[in-house]
Amino acid sequence: MRDEGAQVWINWGFAVPALALMGLVNLIPIGQAFYFADGFAALPVDARLIESLKNTAVFTGLTVSLELVLGLAMAMVLLKPFPGRGWVRAAVLIPWALPTAIMAMAWQWIFNAEYGVMGDLFFRVGLVSSPQIAWLAKPGPAMAACVLADVWKTTPFMALLLMSGLATIPDDLYEAAEIDGAGSVRQFFVITLPMLKPTIALAVIFRAIQSFGVFDLVWVLTGGGPGGKTQMIALYVYDTVYRYLDLGYGCALTIVMAGCLLVMSGFVLLVTGREEA
Amino acid sequence: MRARAFLISAVLSFAGGCGPSERGGSGPVVLRYLSGPDIGGASAEIIKRFEAENPGIKVEMVEGPAATNIRENMYSTSFMGGEATYDLAYMDVVWVPKFAAQGWLRPLDDWFTPKMQTEFLPGDVLGSTYGGKIYRIPVQSDGGMLYYRKDLIAQAGLKPPKDWPDLVRIAKKLQNPPALWGYAFQGKQYEGLVCDYLELMWGNGGRVVGEDGKILVDSPEAIEALRWLVDAVRKHGISPEGVLTFQEEEARHLFQEGKAVFMRNWPYAWNLVNGEGSPVKGKVGIMPMVGAEGRGGAATLGGWGWSISAYSKHPEEAWKFAQFATTVEMLKISYEKGGIIPARRSLFKDPEVLAKSPHFKELYDVLTDARPRPVHPMYARISDALQLHVSAALAGQETPEEAMKGAADEMRAFIERRRK
Repeated sequence: MRDEGAQVWINWGFAVPALALMGLVNLIPIGQAFYFADGFAALPVDARLIESLKNTAVFTGLTVSLELVLGLAMAMVLLKPFPGRGWVRAAVLIPWALPTAIMAMAWQWIFNAEYGVMGDLFFRVGLVSSPQIAWLAKPGPAMAACVLADVWKTTPFMALLLMSGLATIPDDLYEAAEIDGAGSVRQFFVITLPMLKPTIALAVIFRAIQSFGVFDLVWVLTGGGPGGKTQMIALYVYDTVYRYLDLGYGCALTIVMAGCLLVMSGFVLLVTGREEA
Repeated sequence: MRARAFLISAVLSFAGGCGPSERGGSGPVVLRYLSGPDIGGASAEIIKRFEAENPGIKVEMVEGPAATNIRENMYSTSFMGGEATYDLAYMDVVWVPKFAAQGWLRPLDDWFTPKMQTEFLPGDVLGSTYGGKIYRIPVQSDGGMLYYRKDLIAQAGLKPPKDWPDLVRIAKKLQNPPALWGYAFQGKQYEGLVCDYLELMWGNGGRVVGEDGKILVDSPEAIEALRWLVDAVRKHGISPEGVLTFQEEEARHLFQEGKAVFMRNWPYAWNLVNGEGSPVKGKVGIMPMVGAEGRGGAATLGGWGWSISAYSKHPEEAWKFAQFATTVEMLKISYEKGGIIPARRSLFKDPEVLAKSPHFKELYDVLTDARPRPVHPMYARISDALQLHVSAALAGQETPEEAMKGAADEMRAFIERRRK
């Protein structure tokens, strides 16, 4: 018994360096954010905060759900053996590996009103009467452009996460289902999806946190325009601290942001964990 | 405050990397500053000459990123921490109020006397002043102006526009979209949009901030000026809808390819639209921006100059360099090598300069009337509120009235909050 107690202490001892590091890089800055934060009274009436929270929520909701669906499809295809799979797997990861700011510049050209490829594609397909479409000049299309660029870039990452989850599902489950006469659609809903749930929860939380803090992509692609309709919360925090030199209010904004993320993560865990409980 | 400054600098030096550390001991005095890329090598040449004349002083130019807002943040970061990394600051005119209000700059009144100030263009001096003190000696002047296709206007038997309604008339008559548009400007939601809008607003007798500090952007003059700009896109169709994504270069490309009759831009575009291989070479005229009927237009002032850090340990040497770099001779080198438009009046009458650049005659008219953007410590926020609402009006999300009322309410709210 005494040995076991000592063991517990030794175990904690090993954890101390990691915990200290966590405390240093997490707890202290968080504590300081609370310490310096001020101007809370202005938060509920801050029109720009409300607008940017709304935009960020729309962006996060759209990107994460699209990435989940597309990423899952991609993961299932890439898990099945086929000739040249290694190459395809590598190729799929390229968008994710490219620097976001540079890709945002490329997307800016794709959506360019005068010379953009996207307008030309729509024109050739016959959806529009002129190839000159000012995508980034209209609030709806500008947001859609941000979402598309993000989905294009981050779906491979989602696929990668989901692939690791898919690989852990034992094959005998599928074999048993096959013997019981379940088709592949039914197999997907009764085996793949439930077994993948923990991985999905993790991947969604991971992506939602990243997506909620989106900065570089939007900053380069639209700069928050037109009319602030693609203004994201991270852009607002940046402006407040660096350009307006208002550190206190910037801290208050980051606390709001962190609160949103906590609620969001809690919600995802609640939804995906319900049946096990 | 000290602890906070330390915290910020500590955090930011992790993120951005800190500047070179202080040097102690004897040896030459080293003056350091941050600037954009030294195009044409003008700065290197000036430093070389200065060091030859002043053996005890070395000048170290740190060539930073070309994006000015990033350099602004680099300076802010260093000054927030109270560091003496930079002795001199090569400053955009719009940074002056913000930096001066924070106490980061050294007033230059003892050295840069009112008599010396009159040798520079008035807008550049006004833009270097904050709270009755002068904080910057101007180097480069910059002002928004109207470029027009003199060939097209002459062919149609017309004259360059007298005022804004005239510009709209001419543009509608000559344009043939999408091959030829009437008016190109900077319509993206960013600082340039504010410059373009302010020119029209001033040209209509409006103001952003009154003498007493009152916000005036919801005045009828300001709203009408916004309506001009909105109508150009949405009613008259003289500007393409894509103008909402335009910065300076997008506007210049359109104009340079011969696809626009008028363009609002800065002086830098002159050499490019008249460069070898430009389809509109020799077909372009410049004039001050137009305003309301019977009223002269206005130009938004841009431009660069030298300030001295309040944290510098060598302010006298720093002034020596700033003064040297702004002499007639050095400004000539800056123009010849780097295309930097000088802020000194005498250069616009210099026969040598005029022989090579005859457009300096028109340029002088633009620059003498150029006005600094609102000199306010919270200018960055004021600008953002304008950017957002002007952009929303151009996109058809808000009417001009709603936009300017929204901008005014926002400005009053944050100025009020800061006061508490």
